[in-house]
Amino acid sequence: MVIRSFQTKLLILLIAVLVLLQAGTLVSVHLAGQRTLRRTIDNELKLGARILDRILDTRARQLQDSLRVLALDFAFREAIASADLPTITSVLANHGSRIAADAVVLIGLDGTVTADTLGGNMVGKRFPFVSLLGVAQDRGEATATVSFRSRPYQFVIVPVLAPRPIAWVCAGFEIDDRVLADARRLTSLDVSLWSSTPGETPQLISTLPVEERNDLVSRMGEISAPQQIIQTNLRLGTATYVTLLEPLKTSDGSRVNTLLQRSLEDARKPFAELELQIFGLSFITLLLAVIAAVFFARTVTQPLRVLGDAARQIERGDYSTPVHVTQADEIGQLGTALNQMRSAIGAREDQIIYQATHDSLTGLPNRTLFFDRLSQAIAFSKRSGESVGMITMDVDRFKEINDTLGHHFGDQLLIEIGRRLERTLRESDTVARLGGDEFAVKFTAATQQHAAEVATRVSTAFDAPFVLGDVSIDVNASLGIAIYPVHADDADALMKRSDIAMYDAKKNHSGFAMYEAGRDEYTLRRLTLMMELRQAIARDELELYFQPKINFLSERVVHAEALVRWKHARHGVMRPDEFIPLAEQAGNIGLITKWVVRKAIAQCAAWQRAGLELAVAVNLSALDLLDSELPTFISGLLSEAGLPPSKLVLEITESAVMKDAAYALKVLRDLKNRGVALAIDDFGTGYSSLAHLKRLPVDELKIDKSFVQNLTESATDDLVIVRSTIELGHNMGLIVIAEGVETVESWDILKRLGCDMAQGYYMSPPLPADKFSEWFGTSQWGGVLSPSPRLRGEGAAGG
Amino acid sequence: MRPLVALAILLSTPLVAGTLDIRVQDARGSILRDAVVYAVPEGRSLPLARKTAVMDQKNRMFIPHVLPVQTGTAVRFPNSDDIRHHVYSFSPAKPFQLPLYKGTPAKPVVFDKAGVVTLGCNIHDQMSAFIIVVDTPYFERTGGDGHATLRDVEPGKYVVHVWYPEMRDEPQPQSITIAGGERVDVSFMTQTHGHS
Repeated sequence: MVIRSFQTKLLILLIAVLVLLQAGTLVSVHLAGQRTLRRTIDNELKLGARILDRILDTRARQLQDSLRVLALDFAFREAIASADLPTITSVLANHGSRIAADAVVLIGLDGTVTADTLGGNMVGKRFPFVSLLGVAQDRGEATATVSFRSRPYQFVIVPVLAPRPIAWVCAGFEIDDRVLADARRLTSLDVSLWSSTPGETPQLISTLPVEERNDLVSRMGEISAPQQIIQTNLRLGTATYVTLLEPLKTSDGSRVNTLLQRSLEDARKPFAELELQIFGLSFITLLLAVIAAVFFARTVTQPLRVLGDAARQIERGDYSTPVHVTQADEIGQLGTALNQMRSAIGAREDQIIYQATHDSLTGLPNRTLFFDRLSQAIAFSKRSGESVGMITMDVDRFKEINDTLGHHFGDQLLIEIGRRLERTLRESDTVARLGGDEFAVKFTAATQQHAAEVATRVSTAFDAPFVLGDVSIDVNASLGIAIYPVHADDADALMKRSDIAMYDAKKNHSGFAMYEAGRDEYTLRRLTLMMELRQAIARDELELYFQPKINFLSERVVHAEALVRWKHARHGVMRPDEFIPLAEQAGNIGLITKWVVRKAIAQCAAWQRAGLELAVAVNLSALDLLDSELPTFISGLLSEAGLPPSKLVLEITESAVMKDAAYALKVLRDLKNRGVALAIDDFGTGYSSLAHLKRLPVDELKIDKSFVQNLTESATDDLVIVRSTIELGHNMGLIVIAEGVETVESWDILKRLGCDMAQGYYMSPPLPADKFSEWFGTSQWGGVLSPSPRLRGEGAAGG
Repeated sequence: MRPLVALAILLSTPLVAGTLDIRVQDARGSILRDAVVYAVPEGRSLPLARKTAVMDQKNRMFIPHVLPVQTGTAVRFPNSDDIRHHVYSFSPAKPFQLPLYKGTPAKPVVFDKAGVVTLGCNIHDQMSAFIIVVDTPYFERTGGDGHATLRDVEPGKYVVHVWYPEMRDEPQPQSITIAGGERVDVSFMTQTHGHS
């Protein structure tokens, strides 16, 4: 089992230490108790042995005193001196009984027994306790413990004085239960005594209880020692005894064993009680210590747990609840650190969320947040029944503003637009920047009419010119409006449809447009076309039309502008306005351009071979100018076709060059260096400055058809512009071409103004190659077939 | 251990009555005082003496401590103390007792049998004395020089004995002959209790 909880670990550790300590204490108390018990018992036993010794000694001396007194009795002595054995025997018995002697023996000075109280069976023999007698002879008297008649006896011997010793009188006293009882009383020990004379059955006297005594009787034979020993555990009956065995000093080599015994159970009793008390105390201490340990562990781990919970809270993303820190210790510091981390993470997450949901430039909500809010508003409206309006807006010509006035200006403009939009709206409405120059507004409106009013109000944001620094600029925007639930059921659809409406507005230059049902189809068609366009090239569905450019001087065609047509299976013939922007959007423009260039050059070569002296003009997209391979590609085609580069004119719009001016210029110069003629298309509609124009390596300048189409003598403005442009172009050394020449009047005016070339329906619409060839041969402006080309047109075309 | 007895008999000038000079010393060569020496005639009996002797009791002591008397001597036991004494003897030569008395008992005790009579006082255990009853008029106690002289000893054969209280065993008696007028020296070496 793996213990994971810190608290449990801490608790287990603390309790283990406590238990070990307590167990150690108990064990040492127990061991000390055992030692003390043993020592105590040993001491008791040794003391008991000395006491028993002293008891016997005292008894012997008392007996001796008694016997001495007895031996001095005159009548006793007289009787002894009588030498009459029966008298002597009777006096021995008589006087012996006075001192409660169990045996009295009279011994002659020569050591022979004279008389005894034992039936005279010792008379005439040597006194058996020779050494006792010897001591008496040396010292005058003697006492000894001996084994006599299989029993322990104390023998006392004193002389019979008359007044000189005439005999020895010896009295024997059995050591009986009373003696042992005395010893027991004094020592609190059990005393057992038995004498063992070889060949005799020892007789045990003991203070032990009957059972133990019987047990001891059967084991007396085993228990023997030459000197004092202590035997630890002697089991007798059901009790265990610590036993001291002491052979008593005897005078005759007989053996008297003394056992002093202490019941281990009895001796242990006070120790056991003490141990129980200590154990109880230990237990209580342990209990208290465990409670303290639990409390301590809690105080350590509780804050940790709180911190852990707080960390999990942070993990869940709840940064609002701070950790309650009360401690000043490390845990407290950790808590504080956690709090700091929590608020730091919270702040950072807020920042990240803000960045994720807001536009960094304007600080407005971005598309994501806008979508969310729109979805919420719609969800809310589903219950409230209100309408949700959405406006998508796009700043007109923002790219040009950006390119012309710089990105910084563009950024400032966007910020200001955001501010103005916000000012036109209520707090509850949302203005968002969707990206680039695209803004969106969400608002709640009761009705469609109301929504239109809001849109109008929003558009007023662009009424006043924007003044940023020294620059004041008029900015227009196209607004597309879509309304839930009228135009869409969800936020996604609503956004798409307001987008569609915006494109409509842009297309119509109407400022704003409400989404119209069915517009989705148009969008869908656009998307389909984008996809079909790529296949169209492969399937050869594209076709080149050519429109002639007529030289005013020669009044002959000199150039043919190649214009691409898409013969669509369902939609019929489509003009470039309809699909070139799609191709630009879809990234297919490069393919189309290359296809057109190849076809145009091939056609030009074919015409040349057929004797039609013409240069072909091809339109380049802004994106084409970013393709550095294009000049090489074109050169390759020209040399392949065996045409001089001057046979090709590439037309580019002002804005195309503006896109990435430096790079575009590089490509243009490359083309120019290869001898290809370059023309500025749609001149007069862009923001390009003359300085900019001056840097362009172009040969021709095409006045936009919007100035030419309605050119009459009375249209003074156009007339001025056209005249100025022609003059400007000539002054810059450029050939000036007018597009959109539809009437003889404009032809005449242009001719009068000195325009170099004209192009338009007045001369010819764009024609398929074969029709063009036909036109070439039949028209008044038609050219002259080779090998005698008209030299008039040559000069203008080559300029 | 057998007693060592060194015996030297010197024949002196013959006289009608001889003299016995007896020297007693113990095994270590120390002279012995108050040892009783006596010469018992051999082969003839002497008439009982009609003598008297005194064994006084003074300061809870018998005086003298050793009293040699000839058989048949009547010994009086005057009590010179102002307390009573109870003189007794359990000796086979003369058991008797003089129950508690003061002054001099009316009748002296006649010691008519040779032997050592040990005297005691029944109420004063420390009192002890010896009356040596000998079958001869020739007895004496050794003096301070360890010598005793028996004078006017009739010629004849004698057995010379020595006795004193502390002796371990009686030394071998010595037979001597008094021819007459001469001086006979007798030496005894004895073993005393307390000496090895």
